Amino acid sequence: MGRRRRLVDPAAEAGAGALPKVIAALSRSLPAGPSPEIFRRAKFDRPEAPALWQLLFRLLSPRSADGASASLALEAQVCLVKSALRSQGYPRLVLAQLPEDGSRGSRELLLALSWLLARGPLPEQLLAQAHVQLGDEIPVCECEALASPGPRVPHVEAEGPVDIRCVQWLMGRLRFRWRCLIASQQEQCTLLSKIHLYTRGCHSDQRLGHLSVAETEMLRDPEGGQQGCGGGVGQSLDLAYPKSLHSGQVPEASGMMCGWCACGWVSAHPPGSLLEMQPSLCTSCALGCFAFQLLRRLERENTGLEAALEWRRGELVFWRWMDTVLGACPPEAPAAATQPTFLPRIAERGLGRLELAARELRALQEELCEATGRRRAAWEARVGGQGRGPQWSSARQALQKAVEQELAALRWAWEQDRGPARPHGPHRLVRCEDEAPGGQHLRAAEVIQALRSQEACLEAALRRLQGQCRQELARLAGALPGLIWILPPRC
Amino acid sequence: MLPADCSRRLVAELQGALDACAERQLQLEQSLRVSRRLLRTWEPAGTLAPEARLEPETKEEDHSPACTPGPQDLKELELLTQALKKAVLARKVTSKAGERAKAPSLKSGSFATSPGMTASTPSWAPGQAGSCASEAKPTRGIRQTTVPAKGHPERRLPSAGNRARVGVGARATRPGPGLRDQHVALSAAPEAPESFTLKEKGSLLQLPTAFRKAASQNSRLWAQLTSAQPRDSTNATAAAKTYFLQQMQTASGRPGPVLSAAEVEAEVGRLQEACSLLRLHMKEELSAAPTDWTQEYRCLLTLEGLQAIAGQCLHRLQELHAALAEQPVAPCPVGRPSRAPPPCGGGAGPFWSPQLLLYSSTQELQTLAALRLRVAMLDQQVHLEKVLMAELLPLVSSQEPPSLALCRAVHSLLCEGGERFLTVLHDDPADS
Repeated sequence: MGRRRRLVDPAAEAGAGALPKVIAALSRSLPAGPSPEIFRRAKFDRPEAPALWQLLFRLLSPRSADGASASLALEAQVCLVKSALRSQGYPRLVLAQLPEDGSRGSRELLLALSWLLARGPLPEQLLAQAHVQLGDEIPVCECEALASPGPRVPHVEAEGPVDIRCVQWLMGRLRFRWRCLIASQQEQCTLLSKIHLYTRGCHSDQRLGHLSVAETEMLRDPEGGQQGCGGGVGQSLDLAYPKSLHSGQVPEASGMMCGWCACGWVSAHPPGSLLEMQPSLCTSCALGCFAFQLLRRLERENTGLEAALEWRRGELVFWRWMDTVLGACPPEAPAAATQPTFLPRIAERGLGRLELAARELRALQEELCEATGRRRAAWEARVGGQGRGPQWSSARQALQKAVEQELAALRWAWEQDRGPARPHGPHRLVRCEDEAPGGQHLRAAEVIQALRSQEACLEAALRRLQGQCRQELARLAGALPGLIWILPPRC
Repeated sequence: MLPADCSRRLVAELQGALDACAERQLQLEQSLRVSRRLLRTWEPAGTLAPEARLEPETKEEDHSPACTPGPQDLKELELLTQALKKAVLARKVTSKAGERAKAPSLKSGSFATSPGMTASTPSWAPGQAGSCASEAKPTRGIRQTTVPAKGHPERRLPSAGNRARVGVGARATRPGPGLRDQHVALSAAPEAPESFTLKEKGSLLQLPTAFRKAASQNSRLWAQLTSAQPRDSTNATAAAKTYFLQQMQTASGRPGPVLSAAEVEAEVGRLQEACSLLRLHMKEELSAAPTDWTQEYRCLLTLEGLQAIAGQCLHRLQELHAALAEQPVAPCPVGRPSRAPPPCGGGAGPFWSPQLLLYSSTQELQTLAALRLRVAMLDQQVHLEKVLMAELLPLVSSQEPPSLALCRAVHSLLCEGGERFLTVLHDDPADS
């Protein structure tokens, strides 16, 4: 036993130091990360489950629900986590069978967390989600807007039957709103462009060259406070500031009064500290100031980024350890896969989309059936029973091969997952007049081109649908004799 | 009149579209407000010191050597008077506690100081030259403020002076901003110092040092993180992760991988794209006029192939439907399922990216923004068209005989986007 131990120890020691560090880095890079000790105990299924449930809840809940969902009871969080994991395809059923009060199951939760981490770059995604947007961001594609957030409860419920004129009116209202939106957007672009132009040369970062609205606003009104800030820079966070900022000394009363609360507690803020930005405010007022909050958020993000880098460097150790954790689990009996207690309701929109897609395909299939039937009949009539000999059959085979290849290429076009080359998501706008090739940066011209082709596709789709409707209605109208239908002029 | 359930669905759908539009409009208006405010003349409370820097250059002749103490003393004195002024204002507030009107003026006065101090900090960093010239100001300021200073306890002065010096000594000299603030705070009606507009003096702004450091570190870290990612796919870490996922799968005892809602949506999206591609090809084939028998045969084969593929896609859709439908729906106290990732593909989703978007002119930016909105609008229109078709066409066809008004309205909605109407005439053979 002793000999075996000696053999094992050096390797374990090399890993022993690295693992806690890596776990600590992981914990720092995640929002609301629990302490490394919790991870270690979770391997042995020690009861630290609530912290892990809450962590998973934080990771899996949609971002927009942050404020409201923070106050959800543990049971509700447990339920949501289970359903979210299930809808992402989590393979293990043990999770679904864990008690709802969230008291047990820390090992399973650790496995679930690792599963999420293995599937995608989770810390980076979370950091990008919470990123402090200093610039004027514009999304280069519309996927954020197009994926509407699930079934929303309409505040205007139609009670009972409605006249079709109501529908027409709503459509008209919609068109009008879009027009207003486009007009406002044009104005905003002009203003943005002006601001960028006027603040040229101000930014310390050479790549950027000019200030953004958020940065300019911060200079104009560093206190900002509750009046809100522009450009999405931020809702104020809780003011519980980390210990590192507190100098630990009682500030001496100075003759200077705080410019906000008029107390006499303005002390010299340590040089290099974030509070230094607000020397004429007392500590508590300085902390509430908008510019300071912005800085604090930036600093927090930087800490998270550093932690994520450290995690990336050392994560191999973590995965080796997770294999042991998985080994420590009792094997799941296949018979246990009977009735999972909780399953998510796949968003109704998903089913609806499926229905629409099926309908389209069926319509297409019918058209194809008709067309091929005709062509086949015509062909048979032409060629008939005339067997054309060996030349003919070899030519036929060649044609068949060629067509198969074409069709395979066609299939590949949609089956292949679109490569990551297509950029999407918000990007910071920078005005840059020189024509030098951007290299690593996106050019507006490219994005415009991509958008134009998308526009053309959508327009074609719309026209096709409208054409279909026209045919259908013409057919129905044909049933009414004695009427002349004058279509509106196509403009 | 439309039947009740149909009405409810249609109204809900349209109302959802209207709400989405309204939300965008709201955000846009907020941004517009901020941008407009930035381009106007900046209010004195937030005015920056660039004007303080420029002003002293014109007032150098005011420098009267007789009353000018040394530069260090001047600074101390200036800070002292500033503190005294605040004390006086605070007194005013406490003595007129009931008068609401005073409170705003105190606030604006105080605001004048702090933003002045902070915001001017950035522009002082390069502006050392300005500090000498601005010392002319203290003479004026001091004379003005000695009167209110009388009431202030004398013993606090020395400590205040020292304290103030220690506090600000670390940074660049800043007597200038304080001076200007005295002007603003003392004279109840601001004497309207030179106003600051972004147009004229925008290029003089500078971000605070602490902020600059944090921002540059931020961009550096993001660059490191994004460049570190692609390397992952080729080394031991990726292998370890794949192994772990496989083990999780086998340990779970399930036969095959579970379909996640996200994957289902992605596949449905792919099949929809397949449908449009197939249709495109079909159109091409049908419109091409075959010249000889080879082409005709090829056309025929292609069409048959397309038909087979369409059948396969449909079959796959039916499989997906069955898989979805068989999962029992369980009640969950908090209803909303987690949001499925958007259809744009790519694992990361619509998250912020450190890559910049460069534009070269206002025109270009406007085109970009307008196109984006147009794509969103078109996508919404296509979706609404499909929904309307699904709801209204069955209605019209089920009516025997179809009501004219309904036909006309449906035609306008479905075929003209609600923009134009057709005319129906009675063809009465009696007149002629």
